[in-house]
Amino acid sequence: MTRKGRQNTVLAALLAPVTLYLGVFFLCPLLIIALFSFLEPGLYGGVVWNFYHWNYGRIFGWADGLIEVYEPIYLQILGRSLAFATFTVLASLLLCYPVAFWVSRLPEKWRASFLFLVTLPFFTSLIVRLYAWLLILKPSGVVNNALMSLGLTSAPIDILYTPFAVVLGMVYIMIPFMFLPVYAAVDNLDRSLVEASLDLGANRVQTFIKVIVPQTLPGIVGGSMIVFIPSVGNFVVPDILGGAKGLMIGNLVEQQFLSARNWPFGSALSMIIMAVVLTVLLVFVTRARKSAVGMS
Amino acid sequence: MMRRLSSGWVTLTLFSLGFFTFIYLPLIIITVYSFNSNPVNMMVWDGFTLDWYRGLFGLQERVDDLGMNRAIYVESTDQLIAALKNSLTIAFFTTSISTVIGTATAIALARYRFRARGFYSGFLLIPMMMPDIVLGIGLLIFFVTIGFQLSLLTIIIGHCTFLISYVFVVVQARMAGMDPALEEASADLGASEWLTLRKVLLPQLAPGIVGGALLAFVISMDDLVITYFIAGTGSTTLPLFIFSMVRRGVKPEINAIATLIILASVVIAALGLWLRSRKTD
Repeated sequence: MTRKGRQNTVLAALLAPVTLYLGVFFLCPLLIIALFSFLEPGLYGGVVWNFYHWNYGRIFGWADGLIEVYEPIYLQILGRSLAFATFTVLASLLLCYPVAFWVSRLPEKWRASFLFLVTLPFFTSLIVRLYAWLLILKPSGVVNNALMSLGLTSAPIDILYTPFAVVLGMVYIMIPFMFLPVYAAVDNLDRSLVEASLDLGANRVQTFIKVIVPQTLPGIVGGSMIVFIPSVGNFVVPDILGGAKGLMIGNLVEQQFLSARNWPFGSALSMIIMAVVLTVLLVFVTRARKSAVGMS
Repeated sequence: MMRRLSSGWVTLTLFSLGFFTFIYLPLIIITVYSFNSNPVNMMVWDGFTLDWYRGLFGLQERVDDLGMNRAIYVESTDQLIAALKNSLTIAFFTTSISTVIGTATAIALARYRFRARGFYSGFLLIPMMMPDIVLGIGLLIFFVTIGFQLSLLTIIIGHCTFLISYVFVVVQARMAGMDPALEEASADLGASEWLTLRKVLLPQLAPGIVGGALLAFVISMDDLVITYFIAGTGSTTLPLFIFSMVRRGVKPEINAIATLIILASVVIAALGLWLRSRKTD
C-alpha cells in the first residue's frame, strides 16, 4: 500500500467511530423529533402515523375547532422563557464582567486561585446547588428568617416560586460559563489602548464604552450565547424554584412526555426550542465570521 | 497601575468579594445546616448532631427523650447506594467510550487534511450546544421507537452523544500546542502510522486525554436532564435520586447527602488541579 493509502486507512479508522456514533445516536434522535412533531398523537400515548399539523396550530394560532384548541398560553410561556433567559444573560454578565476585570488585575499568583474558585462550583452537583437555594429562599428559609429577626417583615415574603427565584437560580448555575469567556477577553485587553484613550482626554465612561467594551465584545457575545442557550430550554431550575408562575417551555416539554403523554405535541414544543437555539447560533456564527473578515 | 489604587478599585474589590460570597454561601449554608439537629424546621439552629449522617448510612436507630425515632428518615439507604453504584457504572463506561472516540476524532482533525474537516470541527460542537432537554426527549423517542429497552445502557449511550464532543474539545486544545515535528521524525525513521500514533502522539497527548476523561466523568456523574428522560426502572442515578427526593420536599437527610457530594466534588476538583499543575511542571 502507498503511504497515502495507509494514511487514508488510518484516517477512516479514526473518523468512523464518531461518524457512526453521532449519526445514529445524535442525528437520528433529532430527526425523529422533527418527524414526531408532524404526527397525530394516539389516544393513550404513542402516535398515529398520519400527517398532522395541529401540534403547531395549538401553539401558533390555528385550530381544527374539534380536538386541538389554540391556547395563547404556549406562546406566553415561550415569551417568558426567552425573557428569563435574557435576564439570566444580563444579570450574569453584570456580575461577571467587573469581577473578571478585578481578577485580571490581581498579582499573577492569585489569579489562578480565583479562577479555580469560580469554576469549582461547576464540579459540584447541579441539583445540590439548586437545593441550596431552595433552603435559602423558602418561607422558613435563611432569607426570611433573617428578614424577620431583623424586624424588616412580620410574615415571610414570597421569594420562592417567583420568576425572580428562577432567574436567580439560573444565574447561579450559569456563572462559570459566563465568567470564563469574559475573563479571557478582559485578560487580553490591550491596556496601552486604554491608557492612550485616557491620555487623549476621554473620561472613564467614554473609555469604557468606546475602547474597553468593543475590545472585549467577543467574550461578552460568546459568554452570552453559552448562557442563553441552556437557559431557554431549562426545566430543572423552574421545576425546583419556579412554581406555576415560573413555568418555562422546558417544563411544558417535560409534562408532555412524562405526564400528558402527548409526544407529538412535546416534539413540536422542542422543535421551537431547537429553532431558537439554531437562530442564536446562526446569528453568532455569521457575526463572528463578519468580525473575523473585518479584522483581517 | 498603583496610581489608580482609588475608590474605584476599592469598590471593585468589595464587589468581587461579594461575588465570591454569593457563589459559596449557599454551599456553606447546606454544610452547616446538615449538622443541625432540628428535625421540624431545619433552617432554625437547634444544636449539633450527626444523626442525619448516621441515618444515611443506616447505622443508627436512636430513640430520643420523647420516644421518637429521629435518625431514620431516609426511606432506603439501599436505594441511595444503588443510585450511587449506577452513577459510577455509567460514568465509568461513558468516560471510557467518549474518551476513545473523542481522542480519535481530535487526532484525525488535527493531523490530517481532508475535505470534510471543516464540517466535522463545526458539527462536533453542536452536541455540546444542543439543549439537554431536546437531546433527552430525542433519545427517548428514538429508543422507544426502535424498541430498545431503557436501562443503564441507554443512559451510557445518551451521555456519550455529548461527552464525545467535550473530550474532543479538550484533547484538540492540547494538540494545538504540540509540535508535529516529532511525529514527522518518527514517520521519516520508518515507523508506521499506528506505531507513530501509539508511541509518539499518545504519550504527548496524555495530559489532554486525562483532562478530557476527568471532565467527561464529572459531567456524566452529574447529568440530570438527559438521564431523567432515558432512565429505565431500576436505573436511577444519584442526581435523579436526589432530584426526586427534593421534589417530594426538603428533609434533613438531603442536607447530609448534599454535603457529602460537595465534599467529594471539592476533593475531585482539587485532585484534578493538583494533577494538572504537576503535569505542567
